[in-house]
Amino acid sequence: MKKKAGIFFLLTILLLLLVLANICIGSIKIPLQDVFHILSVKESDAGKIILQIRLPRTIAALFLGGGLALSGYLLQTFFHNPIAGPFVLGISSGAKLVVALLMVYAAQAGIYLGSGMMIFAALVGALLVTVFVLLVSSKIRNMSILIVCGVMVGYICSAITEFVISKADDANIVNLHSWSMGSFSGTDWQDIYVIVPAVLIGLVVAFVLSKRMEAYLFGEEYAVSLGIHVKAFRVVLILLSSILSAVVTAFAGPVSFVGIAVPHIMREVFQSDRPLIIIPASFLGGGIFCLLSDLLARTLVAPAELSISTVTAVFGAPVVIVMLFKRKQR
Amino acid sequence: MGIIETEKLNIGYNKIPVLKDVDLHVSQGELITLVGPNGSGKTTLLKTIASMLAKLGGTVYVAGKDLTTLPDKDRAKLMSVMLTEKREYDYYTCEDVVRVGRYPYSGFGGRLSQNDIRIVQEVMELTGISQLRDRAFDKISDGQRQRVLLARALVQEPEIMLLDEPTSFLDVGYKLEFMNVLKKLCREKKIGVLMSLHELDLAAAVSDRVVTISEDNRVDRIGSPKEILTKEYIGKLFHIHQGSYSLEEGFSLAAVNTEKMPQDNGVSREERKTKYIMVQGTMSGAGKSLLVAGLCRIFKQDGYRVAPFKSQNMALNSFVTEDGLEMGRAQVMQAEAAGVRPDVHMNPILLKPTDDKGSQVIINGKVHGNMRAKEYFAYKTSLIPTIREALDYLEERYDIIVVEGAGSPAEINLKQNDIVNMGIAKMTNAPVLLVGDIDRGGVFAQLLGTIMLLEEDEKRLVKGLVVNKFRGDKTILDPGIAMLEEQGNIPVVGLLPYMDVQLEDEDSLSERFESRKQGLINIAVIKLPHISNFTDYDVFEQLPEVAVCYVKKSRDLENADLVIIPGSKNTIADMKWLRENGFAAVLQKLEQDGKPIFGICGGYQMLGVTIEDPDGVEGGGCVEGLGLLEHTTILQGEKCRRQVEGKLPVIGGCFGGLSGQNYYGYEIHMGKSNDQGKVINQKNNVYGTYVHGFFDSEEIARGIVDTLAKEKKVTIHTEDLMDYQTFKQQEYEKLASLMRESLDMNQIYEMMGIRR
Repeated sequence: MKKKAGIFFLLTILLLLLVLANICIGSIKIPLQDVFHILSVKESDAGKIILQIRLPRTIAALFLGGGLALSGYLLQTFFHNPIAGPFVLGISSGAKLVVALLMVYAAQAGIYLGSGMMIFAALVGALLVTVFVLLVSSKIRNMSILIVCGVMVGYICSAITEFVISKADDANIVNLHSWSMGSFSGTDWQDIYVIVPAVLIGLVVAFVLSKRMEAYLFGEEYAVSLGIHVKAFRVVLILLSSILSAVVTAFAGPVSFVGIAVPHIMREVFQSDRPLIIIPASFLGGGIFCLLSDLLARTLVAPAELSISTVTAVFGAPVVIVMLFKRKQR
Repeated sequence: MGIIETEKLNIGYNKIPVLKDVDLHVSQGELITLVGPNGSGKTTLLKTIASMLAKLGGTVYVAGKDLTTLPDKDRAKLMSVMLTEKREYDYYTCEDVVRVGRYPYSGFGGRLSQNDIRIVQEVMELTGISQLRDRAFDKISDGQRQRVLLARALVQEPEIMLLDEPTSFLDVGYKLEFMNVLKKLCREKKIGVLMSLHELDLAAAVSDRVVTISEDNRVDRIGSPKEILTKEYIGKLFHIHQGSYSLEEGFSLAAVNTEKMPQDNGVSREERKTKYIMVQGTMSGAGKSLLVAGLCRIFKQDGYRVAPFKSQNMALNSFVTEDGLEMGRAQVMQAEAAGVRPDVHMNPILLKPTDDKGSQVIINGKVHGNMRAKEYFAYKTSLIPTIREALDYLEERYDIIVVEGAGSPAEINLKQNDIVNMGIAKMTNAPVLLVGDIDRGGVFAQLLGTIMLLEEDEKRLVKGLVVNKFRGDKTILDPGIAMLEEQGNIPVVGLLPYMDVQLEDEDSLSERFESRKQGLINIAVIKLPHISNFTDYDVFEQLPEVAVCYVKKSRDLENADLVIIPGSKNTIADMKWLRENGFAAVLQKLEQDGKPIFGICGGYQMLGVTIEDPDGVEGGGCVEGLGLLEHTTILQGEKCRRQVEGKLPVIGGCFGGLSGQNYYGYEIHMGKSNDQGKVINQKNNVYGTYVHGFFDSEEIARGIVDTLAKEKKVTIHTEDLMDYQTFKQQEYEKLASLMRESLDMNQIYEMMGIRR
């Protein structure tokens, strides 16, 4: 237990360091010692950069990354499948499609889109795909077929999204295009007021469910024998993970591999699959992963920006491959 | 009041009932086992009591409370389960796994109190897994795993435990060990145990009471193991027969120290790995099937769990397993020799020829469709995973697998993509015995020629040669054998005599059909063009005075004392054939003369008034039957497959003496007759039944022969007539001892990598 607490401590330190790095590093470098000074003088240019651009973006990366990793962990638990995740199952892409449709429609009709509408649209898309995936999984018990189905649905959704984008008016395309590739840029405080509470509530609910999740890990029937109402539990679990991935998608677009890779890395780091440990660990890990990825996305080709998925894929995909190899060997 | 009571409990899946009116009673500290064939509903019953499945009716009381009104949490404190499941719990140590069982008592996130932790430690101590505490659950042996899962069920502090075949993945040592722990805990902690078990000897050794569930899905008997687990009853329950099961030979728990748990001795998986041996022939009919059967029996006698295997069989007649699946008869015969239950995994692919160019393809016991030979040749590589799965299944359950090849491995036109001979040998790395048939001549050329046509890597797998069907003086052959060994560079491990054993053998059928033997009593079986399941009549061949001949011409019926119309793969076509070849008229005349006529399955359908095929199952249309019985038959697409047994009702006619006799057998047919589901339909001396293997029962075979002898005023010593199953067991023993005499078993064990 001591060892695990130690790891948590290290992860928290790492997270804080990355938060600072994300604030300081960028096209204008702001030395650390200046940060607090600048914050007190809000009117300076640097202060504006930090307060209006970097700080919200950093908070978004932290919470959205955490939410995404958590959502992946919940889905893996739900499907008893270590490579499930919102992106591979097509849930992110489903959310993206509905949001894209709404954005294009709203732009044409000249309606302003609030973040509430965005989340709602993302949730609709996420749930549609989730229901489809559930239908497939009730028919097919094969884990790879389930994943392949999810990936295919993801491609279909992406194709339709691309189609919608190329039909849309020019003015929207820039905005939509960078969003549909996944990015934390352009997050403002309004968004943060939605993101933080939503993800935190998700985290708390996941915590409350952690005991049941552990029993459920050992099989549905076994969970029943321990006195769990499995049907209700499954509904809550899938809703929770859909909401989390919908929130992320609504604000940052589809971000790949965080959902699969982070929970897996955390299991390896902690050598445990206990929900009580992996739920907070995934949250922290997701935050770290996305902060680091966003930092790289912003700085590697500055002044241009990479899409966040480009970076997460480079780090996340090898993790998944290594994991698959390890499983195969057993 | 017992800790569990069920009252008129009806259970099933998806509203389809599986078991009805179950009245069970389990008291504190009592160990009750559920015994019965696969699919009889044991697991369903356990799952229903565990609330995993909704019941269809009736009531379950747990500790005096109605289960439906008992809150889930309270139930979890009263009852724990251990189901058959193979799941990997990554990253969980054994202690973590056990700890989860405290769920009903633990706090937020599964946090354990001091008391919980103490209980976990105690139970791990009791089940002998304390030293495994920090080991990863997926890195321990099967036996250890089952004990960890038992501990997990125990920390729930239940008053009742439900276990579903807890010993199925374990080998004998672990089984005993596990049962010891269970029995001891059940006594000490006054836990009631309801458990399903496959192993009858274990059930007999540990249970306080045994509940049997029969194949027609009802609770058949409840009582002490001594009362219930008798040879006769078990034979009936499982359709196995005397000689293949013996309680006395089963192990007794007393032999093992029940006081102290043996801690794990860590036999590695490698040492327990299943060993293979494969028999291939230089030609069809070289005697492979019989050799495999003999090897199976020898290994069984030496204490191994053996399974026969043949990836693909081509045969007209099939066997139906207890699960209603079809497989080749040869593997059933070999399984019988091995003393194990036949299983479709022993013959995953079965081809039933429908005409010269095509076959019905049956995969894992179920009809897959009809294919032309060419089509199949292209298709068959896709069956390799099916074969691999079947082998994996058998490997998990058996120590030795004896594989039979098909035809010759040197058919150079078919060798590509082989999945029956060298293909399997390579897949399993099995040492191959190559068998030549000296009776047909040219045995040296057969063996050496076959070897020469093999690829280098295939040659290396051939570890021994066998000369089969030898008659005469061995010394004359010796120089030839020496030269054979020298030229082939492979040792000759056996010179087998011509073995006169009467066992069902696909290859012996051709000889049987040509037999023109006359006996004191002649039984004529009409050789229909699409005859099926012709082993139904083998029982009579035990008696030298009785001749069974297969007749193709209606005039040959005249000598017969009993005419049998056998089963058919195409009833309508064969009915037409009967009429065109004048059988119909002769049969009607024989019936008027009072000659007994028996129709089995398809033959029974032909005895009726009409056979209709509205769905086009056999090409459509409607044909007139022989009209000797009054039923009509409608063929339907759904194939009926089931095992049956019981007592015959009162019947009339010359075989009236069979009334009330026991019968057993199986049904496999498409179509229904309007005969009120009678086992046997009779009018005058004409009888019809759907039951294959009907004559196999000792009582029925003897009854029939005695009646015929009396009628004809001849004496036949039917005292020697055995129940066909007993007779067969005797033949297997004979086969094994003949083979032991002339095979170098030490050498064979050595090539298999078994040290004895």
